[in-house]
Amino acid sequence: MGWVITMQIRLAGFGGQGVILAGVILGDAAAIEGLNVIQTQDYGSQSRGGHSIADLIISKDPIYDLIVTKADVLLALAQLGYDSTKESLREGGLLIVDTELVQPDREFTGAPFTRIAEEEVGLALTVNMVALGYLVAKTNIVKKESVEEAIRRRVPKGTEEINLKAFRIGYEEGTK
Amino acid sequence: MIIRGDEPEQIELLKKMYPKGNYFMQGDEAIAYGALFAGCRFYAGYPITPASEIAETMARELPKLKGYYIQMEDEIGSIAAVVGASWTGFKSMTATSGPGFSLMQENLGYAIFTETPLVLVDIQRSGPSTGQATKGAQGDFFQARWGTHGDHPIIAISPTSVEDSFWETIRAFSLSEKFRIPVLVLADGIIGHTREQIKIPDPEEVEIVYRKLPTSDEEAKYPFGDVHGDLIPPMPLFGHDYFTHVTGSTHKENGLRDVYTPEVHDRLVRRLHKKIELHKTEIQKWEEYYIEDAEILLVSWGVSARPSLGAVMEGRKKGIKVGLFIPKTVHPFPGERIKELSKNVQLIIVSEMNLGQVILEVQRFVRDEVPVIGVNKIGGVPLTVEEILKEIESSAERSRHRSAD
Repeated sequence: MGWVITMQIRLAGFGGQGVILAGVILGDAAAIEGLNVIQTQDYGSQSRGGHSIADLIISKDPIYDLIVTKADVLLALAQLGYDSTKESLREGGLLIVDTELVQPDREFTGAPFTRIAEEEVGLALTVNMVALGYLVAKTNIVKKESVEEAIRRRVPKGTEEINLKAFRIGYEEGTK
Repeated sequence: MIIRGDEPEQIELLKKMYPKGNYFMQGDEAIAYGALFAGCRFYAGYPITPASEIAETMARELPKLKGYYIQMEDEIGSIAAVVGASWTGFKSMTATSGPGFSLMQENLGYAIFTETPLVLVDIQRSGPSTGQATKGAQGDFFQARWGTHGDHPIIAISPTSVEDSFWETIRAFSLSEKFRIPVLVLADGIIGHTREQIKIPDPEEVEIVYRKLPTSDEEAKYPFGDVHGDLIPPMPLFGHDYFTHVTGSTHKENGLRDVYTPEVHDRLVRRLHKKIELHKTEIQKWEEYYIEDAEILLVSWGVSARPSLGAVMEGRKKGIKVGLFIPKTVHPFPGERIKELSKNVQLIIVSEMNLGQVILEVQRFVRDEVPVIGVNKIGGVPLTVEEILKEIESSAERSRHRSAD
């Protein structure tokens, strides 16, 4: 995907998958590159299991909307997240899904992110970083290095390396 | 020991802890950092979505700056502790939302009547009652003005972005300290939880205002008297050599109760109002965009101001003469300025996340001279550029038809 002036990205899953952290890291990476970025989220009031959505608008121009109005990119890590957000993806937009957890009813790309996190990274919890790596490789919205810096800043102390590993594996997957 | 925030040691600490530069943070965090840069060194609170990140940030950062954080049992205790801390000389703050703001109303009145400087942040969420706990709204505009009982003045400020939240919190402290009055920061759950870039300045770039203290025993005798002719009494601090009486009952200039003499009550309550009226130009603040030749005036505030500006710019691209007015100080409401602007426009549109609150203030000032319509949205999702633009376009269309008739 080429860079346009403004890109609207929506990440959707269920609570506990780290969707919002992935959104914060992507936003931080955009900020590191000096791009305008606004990141918001929507989640249920329960701490696990409800829907969880992170919105990002990344732009070279000032941003006036606070939420994604028409997504250029939708990443869905769970069927619940996909069902509640699929209408927001614009026609011709890029749909990325966890291919083992989401059955989309339109054109898509993706990989079994959760299984990759379990088997290749060795920690299912890193599914958000695997998927983020894939998304960054597919969209080129920000540089790989900026995301790596943001990961170092934002993940809990002591988990930097495993998160970076997950991000790189996902990124590799996305370049295939 | 009192900390005002501008001591060389404090400046050094701030510089070391939060070096000047670009940060990516939430509105809630920006409010907390704004408070720290303004010199706030006391916070008492009770967490509530979507304001909890303010308490979280203050709990983590205040001890590093020799400040104090107290986790209270509820919101009533929170604002009570803040009132007490303020009388010992600390710039003090609490933050809450929805039901918590309702619980704080009684002691907010106490703070107003005792002329206690403090900052109360209300991260407005969707109500009434528990409502939509995780969602933002702009439904507390009138609660901010009249939530506590009785005749009283109040100052309320509403920021429009994350960076604005940092600076407007600093302004809230300045006004509160200068005029000895609680100042409300009316942000909302959307700005509170939105992350974007913000430039953290050098602490020297922040103007630190501290309350007027008595300079003699004679002055200290009248903690509620107009000793300087500016209607702002100097504030003696607890534990600093003076005998001071503070009460929420009607009191004389010397602070002692007199709940029977009509003139005493009349004098006190009128002075509190006049104090704000006299200094109104310093307290009020607004922004204007594309006003000069505007035929349609959009009025918006807080979180809704941002998509409103986007809509005005899109409207201009389509040749519609539309301008935008954003009150930043929402109480006292800058109605006189809107009245002035209304003389040159054909229509006023008010966009806000409620069923019509600021629009009532606008109507109060422009009366029937200009039609005023609302763009209102509730449910927790912010207004979009497109939604507001649609209203501007159809209004422009209608007025074209009218002038053709």
